[in-house]
Amino acid sequence: MQTLNRRKFLSLTAAAAGAAALPPQSRAVGARVVVLGGGFGGASVARYLRMWNPGVAVTLVEPNATHVSCILSNLVVTGLLSMNRINLSYTALRNNRGVQVVQGRALGIDTGGNRVTVSTANGNVTLGYDHLVVAPGIDFVPPPGNWNPSLTPHAWQAGPQTTLLRNQLATLGNNDRFVMTIPKSPYRCPPGPYERACMVADYLKRKGRTGATVTVLDANPSIQAEPEAFTRAFNVTHAGRILYVPNAVVQSVDSASRSIVTSAMSVSNAKVLNIIPAHRAGAIGASLGVNAGGFVPVDPLTYAVSGVANVHVIGDACAVPASDGKAVPKSGHMANSEAKVCADAILRALNGEQPDTNIATSSACYSPITSRSASWLSANFIYGDIYDANGGIKGKGMHRVDLGEAPAGEVNQDSYQDMFTWADSLFYDSFA
Amino acid sequence: MRYTPRTQALRSALAASIALTVIGAAHAAPPAGRLLAAQCAQCHDLDGNGRGFEELAGESASEIYHELVEMKNRTRIESIMDRQARGYTDAQMRALAAYLASLPGGGD
Ligand SMILES: Cc1cc2nc3c(=O)[nH]c(=O)nc-3n(C[C@H](O)[C@H](O)[C@H](O)COP(=O)(O)OP(=O)(O)OC[C@H]3O[C@@H](n4cnc5c(N)ncnc54)[C@H](O)[C@@H]3O)c2cc1C
Ligand code: HEC
Repeated sequence: MQTLNRRKFLSLTAAAAGAAALPPQSRAVGARVVVLGGGFGGASVARYLRMWNPGVAVTLVEPNATHVSCILSNLVVTGLLSMNRINLSYTALRNNRGVQVVQGRALGIDTGGNRVTVSTANGNVTLGYDHLVVAPGIDFVPPPGNWNPSLTPHAWQAGPQTTLLRNQLATLGNNDRFVMTIPKSPYRCPPGPYERACMVADYLKRKGRTGATVTVLDANPSIQAEPEAFTRAFNVTHAGRILYVPNAVVQSVDSASRSIVTSAMSVSNAKVLNIIPAHRAGAIGASLGVNAGGFVPVDPLTYAVSGVANVHVIGDACAVPASDGKAVPKSGHMANSEAKVCADAILRALNGEQPDTNIATSSACYSPITSRSASWLSANFIYGDIYDANGGIKGKGMHRVDLGEAPAGEVNQDSYQDMFTWADSLFYDSFA
Repeated sequence: MRYTPRTQALRSALAASIALTVIGAAHAAPPAGRLLAAQCAQCHDLDGNGRGFEELAGESASEIYHELVEMKNRTRIESIMDRQARGYTDAQMRALAAYLASLPGGGD
């Protein structure tokens, strides 16, 4: 079958305008794309594939009936929002975009046979694909010791864990201690843990819990995102309520007694112990091969996995080549951004075209500092040369062209309102 | 590819053809600027959905382009948009502005 180039096609169609039918010559029509994981990355890629070419059949595989958003979930933990507010349904993708949603968990990918085995309520099914997009988010690397997330929640994948941490926080009384850990970068949502510390401190103040404190045990040497806003928040806004401890690498955890030993500080019998363990790619993604950090290396133009035909990984599970010290952050906004690049590349590939090289991706986070004010973080990337620490070119990838946080004067109520405008818009652009 | 009045006219002709709405999407290379402009949809309403910050449809390509340049060059950053505008080259801003102006509701 022959693909027409754009110019030929335009002249052909101009001549044929008004004709009853045109031969269905596109190879993209009827192509099958299977997407594993219905979070920000998976939902967005399914949505954009269908929006940009309704001729492509898209099947989205996701074990949960709805997606619970991590974005805004710290406001649920601290009682400012209800769980409903972060529950995102697949109904619009199904009804408005024509995405076939299969409730199930992918068990394995047969990369040679171009098919996936999925476990569903009605037993295992096999789905064949022309292109496969894998967007499973993260799994946790168990910390040393006796770690049990149903006793010491992470609440770093939203859902029952969010409710559990909210309920535990509600038991905190005067002089009690909320202790949380932050894993070494890269982890999802660089400002997220600092935001959580602020929101818990704000909660303790709002509830009048005198003497109750938040201890932040950070495995990193310093605050990983929005350093100005969070330094000010820790030292001024929430002074006396937050103890920030850098270089605190977890050495052992005992969830039953809510005790922890780190390289910088140990705490026994915390009232609440919120362990956020280190991350790696979700298992179904990791099965495709991971780098030393546990994430799947991808081609930044297509999100394809090298050596595996027509399989793409997007979102938190992937590792995008970037300049040293300027990594592409793992965020919902970024997962959505990558999904669009991936969808465009798949549609081009189905038509026998090369991927677009004139591409950009971006990330944005709004971080509440109190129940009335928020900061924000913005990052932008353009495809091109990427650099090592000495400024030498090390290859091609997504080079960070801009990074910045809200100036002090903008950490305010307007930004707090903007946070909801942004989140609702991103929810729509991914799920509706 | 630069967006010219000629391609605009061709695209209108395309849109008029019923068959093309289905097959055209599959055949033609994606419209220039579409992928770049999609990176604005996390925050801006591009399809009348009523969410997000300022709606961009309805502005001309040159209005959008000049606003982007102004925000990119702003030395005293106020809005997250002043940062996001720094994420695109001049050629990319022209391409995505032209695409945004071509969306329904938009006009040159
Ligand atoms: C507290 C908190 C606050 C955050 N705030 C922000 C913010 O302000 N801005 C921002 O941009 N990001 C934020 N994030 C980060 C954001 O939530 C993640 O980066 C984003 O969810 C990543 O999207 P994803 O699609 O890669 O993974 P996920 O959204 O985690 O989705 C993965 C999906 O895959 C499914 N899955 C896993 N394995 C399988 C399988 N085998 N078969 C089928 N399905 C499978 C899972 O059930 C899940 O639904 C925050 C995160 C946290 C924890
Ligand atoms: C992270 C969210 C975000 C993203 C992504 C984003 N914008 Fe914006 N944009 C905003 C906000 C917030 C404003 C309002 C700025 C202000 O109040 O000064 C704005 C304002 C604008 C304006 C000025 C509108 C007016 O009428 O004054 C234009 C033009 C614009 N954006 C274009 C774009 C384009 C084009 C893109 C994609 C390349 C984009 N934006 C991506 C958040 C965003």
